Amino acid sequence: MIRIEPDAWREMVAHAGAAYPNECCGAMLGSVEDGQKTVRIALPLENAYEGARERRYELRPEDLLRADKEARSRNMDLVGIYHSHPDCDAYFSETDLKNSCPWYSFVVLSVRNGAFDHANSWLPDAEQTKAEREELSY
Amino acid sequence: MAKILIPTPLRQYAGKQDSVELSGATVGEVLSALTTQYQDLRRQLFNDEGKLRSFVNVYLNDEDIRYLQKDATPVKDGDTVSIVPSIAGGSVAAPPEPATDALSKDEILRYSRHLIMPEVGMEGQLKLKAAKVLLVGTGGLGAPLGLYLTAAGVGRIGIVDFDVVDFTNLQRQVIHGTSDVGRKKLDSAADRMREINPFVQIDKHEVALSSENALDILRDYDIVVDGTDNFPTRYLVNDACVLLRKPNVYGSIFRFEGQATVFAYEGGPCYRCLYPEPPPPGLVPSCAEGGVLGILPGTIGLIQATETVKLILGIGEPLVGRLLLYDALAMRFRELKLRKNPECPVCGDHPTVTKLIDYQQFCGIPKQEAAVEQVFEGDIDPVEVKAKIDRGDPFVLIDVREPHEYQICHIPYAKLIPLGELPKRVNELNTADEIVAHCKSGMRSAKAVDFLKKAGFRARNMKGGILAWSDRVDPTVPKY
Repeated sequence: MIRIEPDAWREMVAHAGAAYPNECCGAMLGSVEDGQKTVRIALPLENAYEGARERRYELRPEDLLRADKEARSRNMDLVGIYHSHPDCDAYFSETDLKNSCPWYSFVVLSVRNGAFDHANSWLPDAEQTKAEREELSY
Repeated sequence: MAKILIPTPLRQYAGKQDSVELSGATVGEVLSALTTQYQDLRRQLFNDEGKLRSFVNVYLNDEDIRYLQKDATPVKDGDTVSIVPSIAGGSVAAPPEPATDALSKDEILRYSRHLIMPEVGMEGQLKLKAAKVLLVGTGGLGAPLGLYLTAAGVGRIGIVDFDVVDFTNLQRQVIHGTSDVGRKKLDSAADRMREINPFVQIDKHEVALSSENALDILRDYDIVVDGTDNFPTRYLVNDACVLLRKPNVYGSIFRFEGQATVFAYEGGPCYRCLYPEPPPPGLVPSCAEGGVLGILPGTIGLIQATETVKLILGIGEPLVGRLLLYDALAMRFRELKLRKNPECPVCGDHPTVTKLIDYQQFCGIPKQEAAVEQVFEGDIDPVEVKAKIDRGDPFVLIDVREPHEYQICHIPYAKLIPLGELPKRVNELNTADEIVAHCKSGMRSAKAVDFLKKAGFRARNMKGGILAWSDRVDPTVPKY
C-alpha cells in the first residue's frame, strides 16, 4: 500500500503535465510504517536520457543520491520513484522492468494530451522478471 | 572507519540502522565486511555469481566508484559509502500482459470474501481476473455494473460511451458525482472504478457504437453487457454478439419496470428471437421522455452484473431462455420462457443477416436524427413568443404537457391542455385566434400543431419547448 499526500500528488501531476510530451521522473520522499508507505514530498528530477525522451527516461544516480540525502536531512525516507507515460497507459513496461530496482515503489502516471489520466504503482522483483501492482491511493 | 548509508528498504536487513560504521582499506573490503555482518544484505546487493547486481551503484562520497578504482578504491576515515540504484525506463516496450495465473498479496486480501467461498475460491477469482467484459453505456445500468464488476475483480473492463455527465443523470447514474457534471462519462466512470479497484484494467472507448466499429470493439471481450437505452444500438449489440458468438447480458428499464436476460449464449435465444422487429419509432418512450424510478436501473443492472459473474465463474443456472420481468410497484418478479426461433434472421437455422446492417434505418429512424433542430414551416422562436406577449399581440399560448409537468414549471401566460385531452377540449379554442403550442422540448407540441391545423386552426409550434424558453428567455424557469 502506498499513499501519496495531496501536495506531493499535485507536484507529481503538475510535473508530468509540464514535461509532456516527454516523460518526467522524480523521487518520492516520505515514510514507511508496517509496510504502509506514505509519500509527503515529490522531488522532480531531470530526465537524463539522451535520445527520445517522449518514450524513455533515465535518472542520474547522483540525483538519486541527492534525493536520498534530502530525505535523510528531513528525517524521511526515499520511498519510491515516479515517472510518466505520455499518451499511453500506466503499465510497467519491459523497459521499466529491465531498468528497475526492487527496493522502491514505482509510480507510473499516464498523461494523455498533456492532462493526467490515471496512475499505478508497481513493485518489481530483484530478478527484473516481473512487477506486482501495489495499491495506490492519492 | 567508513560510514555506509543504508537505503530505507534495506535497513530491515541491517538491524534497522540507517547507517553502519565499518572499517576496511578499500570499498570492496568495506562492502565485504558489511555483508559478512549482515548476511541477508548480501542477497540484495550481489547476484548468485557474487557480482554486484546490475542496478546497484556504489558511491564513495559523491563519486561513482566505477570512475575511481572500482572495488579497489581506497577508503579513508570519515568517508561515506552510499548504495544507489540505477533507474531508468520508459513506455517504449509494450506492456507485459498482467499475470492471470496468480494473485498478489494485496489482491488476496481484497478478494478474501470471495476466496473463502468454495464456489469462487482461488480458481474462480483467477477466472474473474482473466475475464474481459465490455459495458455498452455508463448510464443508469452501466453505473451499478461498472461499480460492482470492478469491485468483484473482473480483470479487464471496457466501457463505451461518448456522452457528458449532466445534472439529470445523477438521480440514478451513481458512478458519477455532482462534481463530475460536465465531464466525459468515460473519464468520470473510469476514475471512480480505479478508485474502487486499482487492479482492474479499464479500456475507454469514446465512440458511439456503430455498424462500422462494433465488431472491432466487441471482439476483444468475452462477455458484452448491454446498458443502452435505444433500439438501434440494442439490435446492433445483439447482432454483433451473435456474429462473434459472445453472450449478451441484456437489461432494459422503463418507469417502474425492468427486464433482464442473457442472449446469444450457447444455443440460447437472441434479442431478435424475442423481438424480430423494432417498434415503430416514438411508440416506446425513452427514459428521458417517460421517466424512470432512479433505483430501478440499480436493481436491473445488478441482475446483469450477477449473471455476468456467474457466466465467468461457470456456476449456478444462467438466465438463458428466461426473460425476467421486474415490477417495482408490485415488488414482483416474473419469468417468461424464451425459445430460440429457428426462423430468426440472425441466429436461426438459415440466417439472412450475416453482417451488421444500418440499424437506424432498420428501426425506421430518419438518417438525420438531429432533425429536432430542423426548422419547420410555422415554427416560432421562444424569444419571439416573449415579444408577442410583451407587445400584447392577440394570440393563445397553450401548454400541451401533463399537469405534473406544469407543476414543475410553466410559462405564466400559457393555458394547460395536455396533448391527450386536446381533441375533446378543442372547443375551448377559437379558430379566429392565432395559437402557439409548446411542450417540454417541442416534440409533443409539434403533434398538437399538426392536429390543430387539420382541425382548421392557425397554429404554430414554439421551437425547443419550455427548455428553450429557460435557455433563451427566462433562466429562472427550472429545466427538468
